[in-house]
Amino acid sequence: MADSRFAAGIGLAMLAVVVSALAWAIAALLTVEHGGGLETSYAAALPAGRAADFAAGIGLLAAGGLAATQPRTRRLGVLALLAGLAWFGADWEGAEDAPALLRSLGALVAPLTLVFVFHLALAVPDGRVRSSAGRVAVIGAYLLVAVLTVGRAVFRDPLLDLYCWRNCTDNSFLVHADAGTASALSDGLLWSALAIALGLVAFAWRRLLGATGPGRRPLLPILGPALLVGASEATYAITLLRTPLEDPDRAGFAAIFLARSLSYALLALGLAWSLVRVARTRARLARLATDLGEAPRPGMLRDTLAAALGDPGIGVLYPRGAQDELIDADGRTAESPPPGRAVARIARGDRPVALVLHDPALVSEPELARALGSAARLSVENEALRAEAMAQLHALQTSRARIVETADAARRQLERDLHDGAQQRLLALSYDLRLVRASTADDGDTELVSMLDAAAGETEAALEELRELAHGIYPAILTEAGLGPALQTLADEAPLPVELGDLPPERAAPGVERTAYVVVDEAIDDAAGRGAAWLHVRVRRDAGRFVVTIEDDGAPRSARLVHLLDRVGALGGSLDVRDTSLRAEIPCE
Amino acid sequence: MRVVVADDVMLTREGIARLLDEAGIDVVAQVEDADGLLREVRLKTPDAAIVDIRMPPTHTDEGLVAAQRIRTDHPATGVLVLSQYVEPSYAMRLLEEHPERVGYLLKQRVFDVAVLVDALRRIGDGETVVDPTIVSRLVGRRRRQDPLGELTAREREVLGLVAEGLSNGAIASRLFVTERTVEAHVKQVLLKLGLTVDPDSHRRVLAVLAYLRSDSP
Repeated sequence: MADSRFAAGIGLAMLAVVVSALAWAIAALLTVEHGGGLETSYAAALPAGRAADFAAGIGLLAAGGLAATQPRTRRLGVLALLAGLAWFGADWEGAEDAPALLRSLGALVAPLTLVFVFHLALAVPDGRVRSSAGRVAVIGAYLLVAVLTVGRAVFRDPLLDLYCWRNCTDNSFLVHADAGTASALSDGLLWSALAIALGLVAFAWRRLLGATGPGRRPLLPILGPALLVGASEATYAITLLRTPLEDPDRAGFAAIFLARSLSYALLALGLAWSLVRVARTRARLARLATDLGEAPRPGMLRDTLAAALGDPGIGVLYPRGAQDELIDADGRTAESPPPGRAVARIARGDRPVALVLHDPALVSEPELARALGSAARLSVENEALRAEAMAQLHALQTSRARIVETADAARRQLERDLHDGAQQRLLALSYDLRLVRASTADDGDTELVSMLDAAAGETEAALEELRELAHGIYPAILTEAGLGPALQTLADEAPLPVELGDLPPERAAPGVERTAYVVVDEAIDDAAGRGAAWLHVRVRRDAGRFVVTIEDDGAPRSARLVHLLDRVGALGGSLDVRDTSLRAEIPCE
Repeated sequence: MRVVVADDVMLTREGIARLLDEAGIDVVAQVEDADGLLREVRLKTPDAAIVDIRMPPTHTDEGLVAAQRIRTDHPATGVLVLSQYVEPSYAMRLLEEHPERVGYLLKQRVFDVAVLVDALRRIGDGETVVDPTIVSRLVGRRRRQDPLGELTAREREVLGLVAEGLSNGAIASRLFVTERTVEAHVKQVLLKLGLTVDPDSHRRVLAVLAYLRSDSP
């Protein structure tokens, strides 16, 4: 209750401030119109002057008033309001029909317009000046301008001022007329305005250049116009230092006034635009909470967030295990957060459940964490559990593939050992037997010759069996010449006609070729077992997969070929087993 | 006859060299890899090189590659490739570029020194040698519609001997018939199988092998 009454009080106060500000502004403009013959303000002197004057001042007041109602932009709003009020100071100063006190007050506050904008630019985006150098610059600017403008009011007698234009009659604050001091203080004011304006240009320029991509987007609507304000105010100060007598009839002064008005008006527009952005982001976050409350489809959390926040680069990572290794929604290990991304932590108790990597310019971290809080927690946790499950699945798959690879490597090694060892020794033994037989035959010992013939025959039989064994353990041709020749050899030896359709000409990874080979080999045995009269094999490479299609005309299958399923599955492939056909898809990239 | 023997396994190399020696063939060099083989062939220009298909460094098809190099660079030197694999692919690869003065035999085949000497002699005469085991496997391959069924027994025999690389004359003396008869058989076989290759060229071996290897001729 107390809170809402307090908030209502603030609201009323703000309303009062805005209404009085508008009154001040409209009164200033109306007074200008009744200025009579002499033109003592640009609003009265130039045809476009009033519109430009109005756009700048009312724009700042309106945008500032709106911004002040939002907590995130309250400080910026107040500064814009103050700048708008000070902007009309010049009109009051030149209003001949207005009371002397108001005209004097107008002259006193007018130089502060630039200082408020300077402060505003340094306080983007949240109303606080972050760097200590910035804070010193802002305080220094306020003090300098305040001292100079008050000093000028104390010493300046308008009647003694050679270059007076807006107000040559009244100064309610005059304490001691001193034309020399007043003139020096006026010059001081111009020099300080120049310094502040140039400082503003430099700051806005550096900040805009330093920010990248999405970070620059929210800064540009305010810092862009602020840069123009600085440039036009600097030109104004330089012109006045060189030509102290201000004259709206001269094109230079008129153009400078229009440029200043326009840049302030743009600043007001920029501030209003930022408000729209903030409101839009808030609406998105609100919708996001609803969307996530309804639990998005598994794996869609990231996409939902990206769409809601308008940030395509958004990332969601989940800490896993004791080391808090980061994984993404598909369970793959992720790099640590890249620089330039803000990290919003979504935690349960002390333990983080998810990290949202987002563009800091679009939404602040606490806001995001809040939006993803209570309502969305369930779906975030679901997503984290899913990511964990996926990570385990990946580990399992890798380990399956490794088991198959290790077994293949072992078979291959065994085949090599047989080829290079036992087979070679048997070959050498045969040669020796042949030599001994030849010399025995020369000696005419027929009994020994026939024994040697038998021994040589046995050796050859052993060699033949060993050769077939080695080929069965691992077909060397597969590694050496590839799947095509290896399948040809299978077809040559098959107990039934095997037709080979298309075969991919290029090689694939050893595991892929070996798996395709095993599938065909087993399919031939299987078809022969079901009494097939023929078998047709096709191997295609299609979109990163080896597709092996096998058809036969045997009796329908009853077995599911589980070991083939295991083998193909180990490489992340799939096997479709039908009555008399078989289709294996093996990823090969 | 002068021969270079290339095999990375010393036992086999020595065994072959001793068999050749017994048969009165001059082994001018024994080498253990393809580089050594090419060097000795260049230096000694032998009549033939006996090459193991599997040699260092990768132990895959170094012997085949070296054989093709020799046939290209030294047309007068024949090459006999020895292998422990019954692989028609290798034999056909060997014949593809240079169908003459080359041979592909299984290692155990050369136990029989007569076979080895005969192969070297045929290669020296410009013929081709393909291991009978490979040919019989190809001829015996199961087919859905077997066009070989249309051949007579004698024609099948002739087809097999053509695939082994024998010339008409060699086939004639093997079958105890006249060369004219063999010519007639060969023509008839090629006609029945629809092969358009010149019946007298060296290319007929490869054409017949490729035909036997295709699925539905």
